[in-house]
Amino acid sequence: MALGKSKLSNLNKKKIQRNIKIGISILVSVVTLFPVYAVLINSFKTNGQIFSAPFAIPAPPNLDAYVGILTKNADFWMFFFNSTVVAALTIGIILITAFMASLALSRLRFPGHAKVYNYFVMGMLFPLTVAILPLYLQLRALGMIGSLSGVILAQVSFGLPTSIFILTGFFREIPQEFQDATQVDGGGIGTFGFKILLPISTPVISTVTVINFIQSWNQFLLPLLVLDNRKTFTIPLGVMQYQGQFTSGWNFIMAFITISMIPMLLFYIFLQKYIVAGLTAGAVKG
Amino acid sequence: MRWKLSDLKKNNIPQAVILLAPAFILFTVFVVVPVIQAMYYSLFSWNGMGPLRSFQGFINFTKIFGDDIFHIALINNLKIVAASLFIQLPIAFLLALLIGRKSFKGEVLFRGIFFFPYVVSEIVIGIIWRFIYDPRFGIPTLLWSFATGQPHQIGLLGDPTVAFNAVLVVVLWKYIGFHLILYIAGLQNIPAELEEAAIVDGANRFQTVTRIIIPSMRGTFIISVFFSVIGSFNVFDVVWAMGQGGPVHSTETIVTYLYNYGFRRFDFGYGSAIAVILFVICLIFNIFYQRYVVGEKDGLR
Repeated sequence: MALGKSKLSNLNKKKIQRNIKIGISILVSVVTLFPVYAVLINSFKTNGQIFSAPFAIPAPPNLDAYVGILTKNADFWMFFFNSTVVAALTIGIILITAFMASLALSRLRFPGHAKVYNYFVMGMLFPLTVAILPLYLQLRALGMIGSLSGVILAQVSFGLPTSIFILTGFFREIPQEFQDATQVDGGGIGTFGFKILLPISTPVISTVTVINFIQSWNQFLLPLLVLDNRKTFTIPLGVMQYQGQFTSGWNFIMAFITISMIPMLLFYIFLQKYIVAGLTAGAVKG
Repeated sequence: MRWKLSDLKKNNIPQAVILLAPAFILFTVFVVVPVIQAMYYSLFSWNGMGPLRSFQGFINFTKIFGDDIFHIALINNLKIVAASLFIQLPIAFLLALLIGRKSFKGEVLFRGIFFFPYVVSEIVIGIIWRFIYDPRFGIPTLLWSFATGQPHQIGLLGDPTVAFNAVLVVVLWKYIGFHLILYIAGLQNIPAELEEAAIVDGANRFQTVTRIIIPSMRGTFIISVFFSVIGSFNVFDVVWAMGQGGPVHSTETIVTYLYNYGFRRFDFGYGSAIAVILFVICLIFNIFYQRYVVGEKDGLR
């Protein structure tokens, strides 16, 4: 009997603990999501509504800001296009070059390969910001100021260390027998890379894609220095410039921000596990 | 980790060169060479035009270290480091204990929510928080009138004595989710038997955390502290979006200082010297950290 009672109180205790956990989680969620809520609701207001009730649900909802941004002014689409081009080419070039390098570093024997690997991975210790001014001077010397290609190549170069680290780590785990079998059949390292490694690497390639997408889509400092013509602006530069204009009301800024977050939101919802995989790649390897 | 190497073909040099060349060239041209060049430029007074003529030794460095605004920037960066280590990381760890252990349904949802600020750009985050802090209708003003019953405008970002703390809150808020995700991954790597054994031995919740969980997550903490410190020295976007280092330089960081005093004034010798200082700070931290904190076993590689 006594046993049954203590079991029951244990169960109750667990339930209370669980409810406390959920309570705290909800509280933290509110703090976390409040800014997102503020953006969303105010993008559906007139400027007058914002000033009279900045954190209330819009009544009635107003679509002026969205109509204005998406139809009356081509800027948003221009920034969006630029950001997409930069992200796509950055990711494309990283995937090709990092795949090749990682293939060599994980599956080939050549003198100094540990040194070459360390040379690349050393880059993980320094974010782009550390080298931003030297990088600007280098891009200027190469005549790349004002062009998207400068932004892209710089982003690629700073994305390589982490990408090579993740890909090489994965490739090393592939059993040697696969490679030997390819070689017995007369295929070289290229055949092995394309026919064997590439198909089984989709998860890790997705991880590399996603982390580089986040970096590229949100990158601000590099385009701020490199891009001097607003026709080439990416979204972060565009948002910053747009909110600095005296004429843009908060409702327009909020609508601008909301639409600019949609691609990231989609990535986030559908590819979250790859984002997490990318972030924890270093931590889990240990 | 052992290398698994091909024994069938001994000489792979030509293939290795072809495969490595593109990445090697890009990384060298855009990462390594610029950093080395900056060390050279930092010894000159140079507006970026024409050849480097006026060599002046370490004058740029003495000027920087003698500049009060640089002191503000450096102290602000150190404050971000301290706040990250002593406020942000503990909060992230407690949250990880809360939702990282499959104890109730909906954990995955909460994880998704807590992590979300990490993927939003710092610029956007900065702009949104400027709205939230707006003296005319923002949350501080609302809270003040609610608490005192008297309308009074609170302009945190316009007041040099508090502006930096207002920015700091945003930095802490944005990156809690990042560390949370690292910690959850670390927690899930701890074998369940280890904790069960401790509980069987009569350990309470607190003891399990301090004796089992924290020591088992050493590798995770090493990575998290590393990202936190390096990230803290490189804060720029949020600060930029919230006030460009102002009012009266109160929110300046090393990188805003570099942008404002090196880039904007076309003083590239001076700017290069700031860049070198930032690089050396990160380098010293890396060396110290690898040597004294990261053991042989839990290296970054």
